[in-house]
Amino acid sequence: MTSAWLAWRTTTRYRARSALAMIGVAVISALLFDMLLLSHGLVDSFADLLEHAGYDVRVLSTEGVPLLRAPIPQAAELAVAVGQLPEVESVARVRFERAVVTTQGRPDVDVALLGTTATGTHAAWTLLKGAELPNDPSLERCPLIVAQRLATAWALVPGSTVSIRATLPGRQSALPAVGCRVVGTADFLFASADEYDVATTMQGLREVKGGAADDEADLVLVASRPQAGPAAAVRAIAKLRPDLRVYSNEDVVAQFNRNGFAYFRQVSVVLSSMTVVFAFLLVGTLLTVSTNQRLGEIAALRALGIGRPRIASMLLYESALLVGGGGVLALPLGGMLAFGLDRILRQMPGVPERLHFFVFAPGALVLHLALLAATAIIAASYPIWLTARLPIAPTLRHEVVG
Amino acid sequence: MTARLVRFAFVFLVGAATITGVVRAAAAATRSSAEPVPILISRQLSTRAHVAVGDVVTLATDPTGTTARTFRVAAIYEPTPDPMRFTAERLEARVHLHDLVELTADAAVPASADAVDTINVRLIDPADAGQFASDLTARMPGLTVRPTSRPPEGDPFAVLDRFHLAIAIVTVVGSTAFLLALMVIRAEERRETIGALRLLGISRRSLLIEVAIEGVLIAAAGAVFGALVAFGAERIVNRVFQTRYDTTLVFVRVTASIALRSIAIAVPLGIVAGVGASWTLLRRDILTLVRR
Repeated sequence: MTSAWLAWRTTTRYRARSALAMIGVAVISALLFDMLLLSHGLVDSFADLLEHAGYDVRVLSTEGVPLLRAPIPQAAELAVAVGQLPEVESVARVRFERAVVTTQGRPDVDVALLGTTATGTHAAWTLLKGAELPNDPSLERCPLIVAQRLATAWALVPGSTVSIRATLPGRQSALPAVGCRVVGTADFLFASADEYDVATTMQGLREVKGGAADDEADLVLVASRPQAGPAAAVRAIAKLRPDLRVYSNEDVVAQFNRNGFAYFRQVSVVLSSMTVVFAFLLVGTLLTVSTNQRLGEIAALRALGIGRPRIASMLLYESALLVGGGGVLALPLGGMLAFGLDRILRQMPGVPERLHFFVFAPGALVLHLALLAATAIIAASYPIWLTARLPIAPTLRHEVVG
Repeated sequence: MTARLVRFAFVFLVGAATITGVVRAAAAATRSSAEPVPILISRQLSTRAHVAVGDVVTLATDPTGTTARTFRVAAIYEPTPDPMRFTAERLEARVHLHDLVELTADAAVPASADAVDTINVRLIDPADAGQFASDLTARMPGLTVRPTSRPPEGDPFAVLDRFHLAIAIVTVVGSTAFLLALMVIRAEERRETIGALRLLGISRRSLLIEVAIEGVLIAAAGAVFGALVAFGAERIVNRVFQTRYDTTLVFVRVTASIALRSIAIAVPLGIVAGVGASWTLLRRDILTLVRR
C-alpha cells in the first residue's frame, strides 16, 4: 500500500472533517486568489483601456493629479508641430467641459462634454449607431456622439436634436443653449456609471461655449509611429516643448500604480499575507489534531514495518489532498467571488464602467498554486516531526492498555 | 549673502484658494524692502525645502518669479490627513487671504482682486445645511452650494465599507468551516467519555448544555484573544502605513463597537459549531458510543 493510498483511505474514512476542511480551504483560497487578482487587476485593466484608445503618448501642461485645471494654450499650433515630428503618426486635441443637455418634456441632465479632433478608430469610444464625428468641422455646427445610456434614457437616435449649455465651474454662467444634432451613439471607454458622456468636435465645443475663440486643450493625444515607438515620441515632443509634460502610456500606468492604485495594492498585500497565514494555521491545526488522535494507529503502522519516510509522505499527501481539493474548488469559487467584489468596487464614483478591479492573469494563478503548495508542505511539517519522534512501544501500550 | 535656494513646484492651499507656486528659501536676509509677511509651511514642505521657522522664503506664481513676494516662516504645521489624497506628498503652505490675493491678482482683471474659489459657511444649526444650500442656489444661480458632510450616494468610503464587509463575511464562512472540522475531531475524541457519561445516567440534554457552555467559554476566549490581536495589529499596521506614506492618517481603528460586533458573531458561531458537532454523537445509542 503506497503512502498516497494510505492518505486517501484516511481522508475518505473521516469524510465529514475532510469535507469541512476542504470547504474551509476553498473559501480562504478563493479569497487569496481574488487578492492576487486585485494586486494587478486595476492596473492591467487601466493599461488595457489606455491601449484601446489608440494613442500611446499624452501631453499635458502640468504633472500629477489634475487638481488644478491648466489647459495647454495654442493647442492647434502645438498639434501641427507635434504632427510634423518623424516619430509621430497622428495627433488629437481634447478638451473637457461640464454641460447641461436639455430637451423638451424632460428634466435637464448634467453631462461631461468632450471636444475632440479624434475620430474613427482613434476615438475614445466604440460607435454603436450612426456616424462618427465629421473630419471636416465646417460641415456641421455642433455634431454630437452621445453615450448609449443617455440615448436609451432619452430615446435619442442619430438625427435627434438636443440643446446644450456649457456650465463654468465656480462661475455664474449666462451662456445660451446651443442646438446640436446627434450623429451617433457610442459606448465611451472612460465613461463612469454615474455620468453621461457626450462628444463633439472642437468647433462644436466652441459653439457651446458661446463662440469663444480660445485655442486650448486639456490634453493632446499622440500616436507614435510603430517603427519609432512611444519612448522616442516622448523624447522628441519633450525636446520640442520642454515646458509641457509628456507621458507614454507606460508612464501613466506607472504613475497610476504608484498613486491611484496604492490603496488596493496595500489591501491586496495585507489580505493575501493574512489568508496564507490563516490557511497554514488552520490546515496545520487540523492535521496536528487529527494526527494526535491517530497516534496509536500510526504507531501500529510503524510496528508493522512501515518506515518513517512513508508515514511522513502519507501525512504530506493528506495535507496535499486537503489543500489541493480546496484549492481546486477555490478557482470557480474565487471567480464568482471576484465578480461580486468587482461589482461592489465599481460602484465607486467616477470609475469608468469598463474598468475592472479583478482581472484574470496567468501569473496570479501560478502564484496562487505555488502559495497553496507551500502551505500544504509547511502545514504538514509539524505532524511529520511529531510522528518521526514517536516511540512505538510506549505509544502502543498507552493507546491500547491506557 | 549666500542664499540656499530650493526650487520646486508645489500645491499651495490657502483657505479655499489654490495656486501653483515656486518656493525659494533664503537662509539669510530678505531681498524685499518690505517686512516679510508670515507664512505657515507644511512639515513635508519644510523637510523637502530645508526650511525652518524664521527663514524667509520667496513665493511666485510662475517659475520665472515675475510676481515674487517674500514671506517669513512663522510655523511648521502638520496637514490635516486626507484619505482621498494619502498617497500625495503634502507640499503645502498657508498665508492670509489678502496676502495671497496680492500675489495672484491680475492687474488687467480688477475682479481678480476680490475672487476666491470657495467660501466656507458655518451654520448655527448644521441640520439646516441642505435647506441652506437649496435656498442659496435659488437666489444665486450658477453657484455650486453643497453641504460639507459626505453625500449618501456616490460616497467612495461607503463602497469601501461594503467591500470590507463582503471580505469579512467570506472570512467568517471559511473560519466556520474550519471550526466545524475541529469540533468534529474534538467530538470524536470524546466519544467514549460521552458514552460513559450516558451509561452513568446523564441525559442528552445535560450533555448538550455542557457542550454549549464549553462552546461559550472557548468562543468567548477566542473572540477576546482575536480582539486583542486586532488591537495589537492596529498599531503595527498604522505605523507601517503612516511611515510609508508620511502621513498622520489613521488607516485602521479597532473601536469597541467593532470588537463587540466580532464577539457577537464569534460566540454564537462557536456554540452552534460545538453543539452541531456533538449532536452527531449524542443522537447515537449508548452501546455504539462505547463500541459495544
